[in-house]
Amino acid sequence: MNCEVQSASSPAPATENIYLPKLAVLDRVSDDIPEVKTFYWHFEDAAEQAQFKRFRPGQFAQVSLFGIGEFPASLPPSPTEDETFFTIRQVGSCTAALHQLKPGDKFAVRGPYGNGFSMEDYYGKNLVFVAGGIGLIPLRSCIVYALKHRDKYQRIQIFYGSKTPKELMYLPNLREWQHSSGVECYLTVDRAADSWSGNVGVVGSLFKKPGVQVPVDNTIAFVCGPPIMFRFVIKDLLAMGFREGDIVSTLERYMKCGVGKCGHCCIGVAYVCVDGPVFTYEQIKKLGEDI
Amino acid sequence: MKARMLERADVLKIVDLLRQQGYEVIAPFSGRGRDTRFDTVTDENRDRIQVHLPNPYYAPKRFLLPHIERLLKVRRDNGEIKIEPTYREPKRAIFGIRSCDLAGIWHLDRFYLGRDFRDVYYEKRRKNLFLVNVVCTDPERDIGEECFCPCADTGPAARDHFDLQVMDLGDEFMVVAGTPAGEALFAEPMFRNATEAQVEKRHAILGEVRKRFKTTTSWFPATVRYVSQGNILEKTWEEIGNRCLECGGCTYVCPACTCFTVSDRQVGPDEIERVRIWDSCALSGFTRMAGGFNPRRAVHDRRNRRFFRKLAHYFIQRELTMACVGCGRCAAVCHGDVGMPSVVEMIRRATATNDKLQPV
Repeated sequence: MNCEVQSASSPAPATENIYLPKLAVLDRVSDDIPEVKTFYWHFEDAAEQAQFKRFRPGQFAQVSLFGIGEFPASLPPSPTEDETFFTIRQVGSCTAALHQLKPGDKFAVRGPYGNGFSMEDYYGKNLVFVAGGIGLIPLRSCIVYALKHRDKYQRIQIFYGSKTPKELMYLPNLREWQHSSGVECYLTVDRAADSWSGNVGVVGSLFKKPGVQVPVDNTIAFVCGPPIMFRFVIKDLLAMGFREGDIVSTLERYMKCGVGKCGHCCIGVAYVCVDGPVFTYEQIKKLGEDI
Repeated sequence: MKARMLERADVLKIVDLLRQQGYEVIAPFSGRGRDTRFDTVTDENRDRIQVHLPNPYYAPKRFLLPHIERLLKVRRDNGEIKIEPTYREPKRAIFGIRSCDLAGIWHLDRFYLGRDFRDVYYEKRRKNLFLVNVVCTDPERDIGEECFCPCADTGPAARDHFDLQVMDLGDEFMVVAGTPAGEALFAEPMFRNATEAQVEKRHAILGEVRKRFKTTTSWFPATVRYVSQGNILEKTWEEIGNRCLECGGCTYVCPACTCFTVSDRQVGPDEIERVRIWDSCALSGFTRMAGGFNPRRAVHDRRNRRFFRKLAHYFIQRELTMACVGCGRCAAVCHGDVGMPSVVEMIRRATATNDKLQPV
């Protein structure tokens, strides 16, 4: 007759609330390209900030706008950098609300979530980054991380394309990478403006430019961009001789929880939020859904 | 497991005992016609509790995973923002939960409390839940046209996951304890020891009940193999998709479906709450992202999703149970006749025909 005594005995350690976001403060906002802004922020609680800073490149966080909702956002900073920030395009109601925030305003964040890129497993390899448009946002984390640990990797190449010169993301970073000796950075645009002296064409056209030699053996290719760009770049890479398991990307899906419960991001046998968002092309092909 | 006997007239005294111990007791009641429902027992309705009745369409899953559940409140107080999680930890008992729904709860336990992330809201509701399983023994009232628990291996008598199990032996009831909490109730003098003959009778009745299931069957093993091996033709998924009206009914009545969406709503000038609401993979917006891209555009992609999630070997291994418990609710509510048993049949026939094999 003492069910209560049983449940009250030996209290189990309290379960962490996986849906509870923590308060964050917006520090500053920078306008990047049309409709895209970068939001620099920190957690109100310093311990929370320190805990969060242990994220891996390729992971993501859930961003809360009170009264509007929550959305998953890539983490463009490398864990080796001091500041935490999101780069967000205004597409839906949550991102629109975020774009309205002013420095000092509060929102909330939980995470980091997902598997991330296994950058340590790639030590000793060549890294080829291929990005289109805002696909550079998640790859920025890996690039900065790799350059910080430059001696761990062989050649590092960046191929990046956008629709117009105005839409090139992270211009200061791009300039730095173009002038850095440790990295080969090639840019292209679909439609050039008068002031543009660089390459014009899709990002895959850079592979065939004179003087460009993409290493294939012992190389990991990171590909991220809009679906059409993804399909063509994969074709190019496979034609060059890349193995499907050596091409990695990060998937985007509608998510509500970020922790494998709400069911929205489940494709094939994978929950993108916990089993991804980083997958090899070999895995993506098996999942069997549009990218 | 310990078995005890109970006078026919005393079976609802289990409800009284639990109520005396402070439990809110949920029990099944009859409405009009086929309509039945789970409701909280009060002094007024206690005598109308039904032991034998068609299993309610609205599964008792909702006592663990409410249709709409508040997760947290956010208040703005003198410029300070406070985020407060809101927990509910009711002390509840469900009397008359069927074996299929019990298997559903076990599946939810594995899903919400297993693996890396535990769901604290589910955990708090689950912690004090006392489950009194009633074995379906009446072929007329308990076993519906669409019941197929023998195919899902969850019934008619659950083997585990209950605190008490009650089974009608005709002149009296046999009660089996599944947990120490259930066994503790046996201290009451109304429980008498069972004889070997009565245990024999239980076996005999169960053997007989198994033969009284209606025409609905669901031959899972071959289908699980076809789904897991990816042998199902796109055409078969299309045929299934063509019959889906995208109402989401199957997912809302399912005792093993787990998906939810999260929404914020304003509840006061300086207060909002965040709630989670059951969601359905049958609905077209389920995977649509901001900006409009939807990786699952066609209806059959979404139907494929639901049945793949339930039948793929990978997930059965992960949760240790199949996300179908054989309750037959999806078959009963589906206007397009693409509930689980029909889908299993369609897949089995189409795939076997394609392989030029006899359907197995």
